[in-house]
Amino acid sequence: MTSLGWRRSVGGWAVHLILAPIAVLMVAPLWWMAITSIKPRQEVFSPIPQWLPRFFHWQNFTEALSRAPFLVYLWNSVVITAGTLAGQLVLITLAAYALARLRFRGSEGLLYVFILQLLVPIQATFVPNYLTMHKLDLLDTRLAIILPFLASGYGTFLLCQTFKQIPQELEDAARIDGCGHLRFLWHVLLPLARPTLIAFGLISFVFRWNDYFWPLIVTDSPAVRPLPIGLGMFVQQESGADWNLLMAATVFVSAPLLLLFVVFQRFFTQGFLGSGLKG
Amino acid sequence: MFHENFQVGYFGCGVDPGGLVPCPGRGGAVRAPAARLDTQAETILAGAVWSRLTRLTRIGAPVAFLAPSLIFLLAFTYWPILHAFFLGFFRWNINTPNRVFAGLANYRELLLEPLFRQVLLNNIYYGLLAIPVAMAIALFLAIQVNKRFAGCTWYRTIFFYPTMIPMVAAAMIWVWMLNPGYGPVNYYLKMLGLPAPEWLYSMEWAMPAIIMVSLWKHIGYFMIIYLAGLQNIPDDLYEAAALEGAGPWVRFRVVTWPCLSPTTYFLFIIAIITTFQVFDQVYIMTQGGPANRTNVLVYYIYQNAFQFWDMGKASALTTVQIVLLFCLVWGASRVLRMRVHYQ
Repeated sequence: MTSLGWRRSVGGWAVHLILAPIAVLMVAPLWWMAITSIKPRQEVFSPIPQWLPRFFHWQNFTEALSRAPFLVYLWNSVVITAGTLAGQLVLITLAAYALARLRFRGSEGLLYVFILQLLVPIQATFVPNYLTMHKLDLLDTRLAIILPFLASGYGTFLLCQTFKQIPQELEDAARIDGCGHLRFLWHVLLPLARPTLIAFGLISFVFRWNDYFWPLIVTDSPAVRPLPIGLGMFVQQESGADWNLLMAATVFVSAPLLLLFVVFQRFFTQGFLGSGLKG
Repeated sequence: MFHENFQVGYFGCGVDPGGLVPCPGRGGAVRAPAARLDTQAETILAGAVWSRLTRLTRIGAPVAFLAPSLIFLLAFTYWPILHAFFLGFFRWNINTPNRVFAGLANYRELLLEPLFRQVLLNNIYYGLLAIPVAMAIALFLAIQVNKRFAGCTWYRTIFFYPTMIPMVAAAMIWVWMLNPGYGPVNYYLKMLGLPAPEWLYSMEWAMPAIIMVSLWKHIGYFMIIYLAGLQNIPDDLYEAAALEGAGPWVRFRVVTWPCLSPTTYFLFIIAIITTFQVFDQVYIMTQGGPANRTNVLVYYIYQNAFQFWDMGKASALTTVQIVLLFCLVWGASRVLRMRVHYQ
């Protein structure tokens, strides 16, 4: 073995020596959740942590599901996330088109109105927004969870950058062929912007699906609440003693996105990678 | 629909349909010698209508495309800022029908309140500890997994997956991990002969525990953004540095770090904003306790608004939060922007 090859293989091992312990630390909580969720009650309180399954107590899941309407929560999560995402995609497409491709006075200033939204998360405006929902008589509805997120400054910005890169000749050609704004947008711009739309869609999906704070503020009844809130309520209801049931519920709440992530792993990492700022 | 407007204008003014760019003025002029007077007037009128229509379309298109987003932005992002600022001057419990103008009373109350100071300090503590640690670890991991070696995608997946888990679930898992009696964390700390604190029940260790959960959940996301930045650095910069005989540390200082400065800038701003968003972990793990040691700004506003129903004070706090956030982001971007190096 040449000295260079030797050094390289040592370097290869060194990476694993550094990263493997960190990886173990990162995975341990997930494993601990999963393993606890299939332990029988007496196993949970063993003084020595049991990391390997000795019993498969699947009843924990059926019991957790029977104690709280987790399937209703799941359905609500689907409706809320899908509704938000659909609205966002339409709104950001229209706005980004106007900001990137139409020439009008003040378009650059308007872009800042969109970007500045990043500085005002819902945690900064939830009190007045709650009052708005109260006034609109929308409290305790799924619509109230959706509305504040329909306009996305981040999505508009990302898509605007993409639309700007599409050459003007393409637009001129489309115009000569008699394409109006909407047809040009639909048939030319959107297919070209698909990677950006997917990237934004994935990120928005993950953040909307996992959102806890705003749904907690505006909803009250289990009939409209999404999964994360369902878990929070289950915790309070069980007052934190039956760890096997609590972890079964936690598994159930975390599983949908984790499964999607495992199946479409490359897709997700690429999507999030594509969202980073370029240059 | 604007396209159709355009068509109406096009045919309405009776211009030669073969012309690519409709020009009513020219059309009228060409026809004028042969045309009767009223036709000419008609043409001029149609031309005026047409130009009105085009002007409308020119303004109308951006308005129609932007209006939906702008309406929602104004209603749920910008109007609330003003609304909170306005309500901050009132004494208003939501259970009582009338709000009473109170001037700066809410703000004066906050200034005199030790708890408010404690809450601010908690937020500062969180930010000062969480932001640098998260960014440093994320950068370190990004550089490691950016190297091409067998298994690097595995590591990326493992570091990134907590982003997919709701913060509530993450908080629950960590409450169980940190359980003083039966959790694995304290078991191994004791085994190693290290002090095993009571974590969420301890005045000193509750906040570090909250920060630990945040780090576990957010580092992967930061890492991915850094990774995106790293992949944009052209290889020839490293090759040039290697030719000059630069070692790994010099290469990092001269190439990697300056090229990543826009990413670092972006992440730093995002991190400041997330510091002002901390709520879920606190709500699930400690409810602000013990003795308000983990009570942060958002949680404190939540308590005032939805436990004491004091909307006036909650609005004043909201205003303070937004002003603080804007000042910090503005200050950070002023300091950092000069140091950001764009390729």
